[in-house]
This record gives sequence, structure tokens and C-alpha cells, in this order.
Amino acid sequence: MRLSIFRYNPESDTKPRMQDYEIAREPGDRMLLDLLERLRATDDSLAYRRSCREGVCGSDAMNINGRNGLACITQLDHLKEPVVLRPLPSFPVIRDLVVDMTRFFEHYHAIRPYLIHHGPEPQREYLQSPEEREKLDGLYECILCACCTSECPSSWWNPDRFLGPAALLQACRFIVDSRDQATDERLEQLDDAYKLFRCRVIMNCTHVCPKGLNPAAAIERIRQAMLRRGL
Amino acid sequence: MKARYGGLRGWVLQRATALYLLGFIIYFSLHGLLSPPASFEDWRAWMQSTGPRLAALLFFVAVALHAWVGLRDIAMDYVKPLGLRLAVLAAVAGGLAATLTWAALTLSG
Amino acid sequence: MTEPGPVPKRPVFLQPLQIELPVTATVSFAHRVSGLLLALALPFLVWTLALSLHDPAGYGRVLAGLQYPPVRLALLVLAWALAHHCAAGVRHLLFDAGIGTTLAVARRSAWAAHGFALAVAALVAGALW
Repeated sequence: MRLSIFRYNPESDTKPRMQDYEIAREPGDRMLLDLLERLRATDDSLAYRRSCREGVCGSDAMNINGRNGLACITQLDHLKEPVVLRPLPSFPVIRDLVVDMTRFFEHYHAIRPYLIHHGPEPQREYLQSPEEREKLDGLYECILCACCTSECPSSWWNPDRFLGPAALLQACRFIVDSRDQATDERLEQLDDAYKLFRCRVIMNCTHVCPKGLNPAAAIERIRQAMLRRGL
Repeated sequence: MKARYGGLRGWVLQRATALYLLGFIIYFSLHGLLSPPASFEDWRAWMQSTGPRLAALLFFVAVALHAWVGLRDIAMDYVKPLGLRLAVLAAVAGGLAATLTWAALTLSG
Repeated sequence: MTEPGPVPKRPVFLQPLQIELPVTATVSFAHRVSGLLLALALPFLVWTLALSLHDPAGYGRVLAGLQYPPVRLALLVLAWALAHHCAAGVRHLLFDAGIGTTLAVARRSAWAAHGFALAVAALVAGALW
């Protein structure tokens, strides 16, 4: 298979370049990551992140033929050649396909991704009805791979001040959680010209999410909650 | 500093004006298609009757507010140097205010 | 306390034309472009309105202006812009009401918005020429 990979080594390169590779596909190569692992065995200067190799850890997110995805669950059969691999768009590149996720996780921390409970803690556990629990479906499954935020034009133009789809999906996850008692504060915090309202429902986030989640719809749910609160 | 302006408020303003604009455009287009003005006198008489005149006046108010939110969004996305952005926003606000005044004078005359 | 070392200036890959833009993104972009065109046309709309209401001669000038090809072309572009902005706007209002926010439906409504705008433009072109 022919591949064209974005290369950048901060110690020797002044700017990034694309490098072509040719590697024969073997019967065991089903996913893109399988091929990359064998490629790295021949060229150990090639850098990318990977860990679980089954779409759970979210480490190997990259731009594959123009579309963000996880190399470990992207089937080689579905890829057009040459397979063009670039780092996640709009993220600062540390080396080759490895990007700096600092800002992404700052935005994640900014929405306070944990239950906030005022008053005494429950004696045994936080109870939740099955209906209340159901509201978290499609929100809690996010693996924070950053495919969505990196593909979002609103994040491209305002990377520092717009929180981006991944953080906002998590904001929704805590806003709709019946056990969380900081709903008002959370909505208040997001009522700002930038943090949430740069979203124009372009839906690139939903289009690329490797877990099939829908950040755009979650952002719309937050707006509806804000509107109800404002009325 | 809290940028409270233009969060939910700007968003609601954009949606509320959109609903009115949509209604007006449908009404105005249908009227123009079904009974187009036959002459200058006909056209002026219609535009000077209370209903259409008020509706048109409100249209220009709504369109100015709607365009303000939209153009401000464009400036926030693409115009990064602060001085230039302020200049663009001032030009947009001035242009919309002038256009609105002109429309109001035209419709009241 | 030691000074932190210089932060390396890192390259960023961001070439929108190299990145896949689905139909929902092209509708969003066209929504923005059509809105900008309509805003730019606003002073001309008021000017036309003022002229047409001023006197019979002005009314005649507005009607006569429709004969000029550049005016017709501008009208055609604005008709597309208005139709697209309205269709994409309705789509937005439905999203805000929680309707049609799944990817499959949002893609279909995006195609519909593009199609509606082109259909209106075709009708207007037919009426003008």
C-alpha cells in the first residue's frame, strides 16, 4: 500500500514535509494501525501515539485522507490510496503525528467534569432512576480522542476561547445528570459569547466521532436548558 | 471581564428576528406574486397603508438586528487584530444604523 | 526561580481544503456567505424602495433597471442567497427546537437546503430571461 505521511522533527526540520512510503499489506493487516506498526518497524523515526489498539483509549486519533479518525479502528479496505496521514488539524504538532493536547484538556477541565454536590454526601450512594440514567446515554461514552474538536471550524477560528465539541459534550453530560447540583452555575458559566455560542451546528464533530456520538445535538440541548432557565 | 453580552442574548435575538423576517418575506413574496402592483399609484398606496408600512418598518428593524448578530459573528471568527475588529464592528454598526434610518425616513415620508 | 525555557514554536496543520467537509459544513458556509451578501445588498434595497416610492419617474427607473443584464445577474445571486439563507435558517430553528439533530437527518436537510436554493434560483432565472 502507498502512504503519504506528515513528517516533522523539531530537532532537524524547520518545517513539516510529506514523506511517501510503500509497504506490502499482509493478511493480518486489517486496520490502519496494523500497517503503521509494521511501518514503524522499518522506520523507527516515525512518531505517533497508540495504546489500546481497539478504539477505547483515544490515543491514535489522526487525520486520515482528510478525515479525523482512530487508526486502530479504521479499516484498510475502506481507504483510498495513497493513504494521506496528517496530525489532528489545528493542534500544535510536537512531532510527526503526535500533537500537543494541552489546550484541549484545559477546555475539558474548564467545564468541571465531575459531579458537584452541595450539602451532606449521601450515606451509601447517589441514587438515580433508570430514566434519569438514560439521559446520560450518548454523552458518557466519549473517549476524549479530540477527533471532533480538531475537525470543528468554530474551534479552528477561536481555539482558545471556544471550548469545542468534546468539552461541550461533557458539559452536557453533567448538566443533564440528575445527581449534579451545579446545573445553574454550569449554564451561567457557558452563557458567554465564545465558550459555547461559537457553535454554528456545522456538525463536522458528529460526522467524524469514532464512537458515533453527537456533540452538536448535545450543544443544542445545553442551549435549550439555558433558554428554559432564562424564561 | 465577563462577556455576558452576546451569549444567550444575541442568540435569542437572532432567532426571534429570524422568525419575524421569515414571516414577512413569505407574506411579501406571496403578495408580490399574487397581486403585483399595476402602477406607481397602486404600489405607493399599498406601501403607505398602515399594515404594510408598519410591517416593512418592523422588517428593517429586525433585519438590522439580525444582520448585526450575524456580521459580528463573522468578525469574531475571521478578524483577529483587535483594532481592526473594532473598526469593522464600528463600520457595521454605523452602516446598519444609517440604512435603518434611511428606511424609516422613506417609509414615513 | 529559573526562567522557563523558550516554548518551541510548533507547526499546525490547518488547510481547510485538505480536510473533508461534509454537506452539513458546506450548508453552514453557504449560510454565512448568503447572509453576508444579503447584508451588503441591504442599502441597495432601501435605495430601490426609496426610488420606487418617490415619484412615477423613479418607479419607472426601477422597472427599467431590470432590463440591464448586470442587475438581473445581481438579482439572481440575491434570490439564491435569500432562498438559501431562509432554508438553512429554518433548519437552524428546527435544530434549536431539538428537531432533526441526528447526523442522518441533518445531512438530508442540508441537501434539501442546497436543493431548495438552487430550485428557487432556477425559477428566478426562468422568470428573468
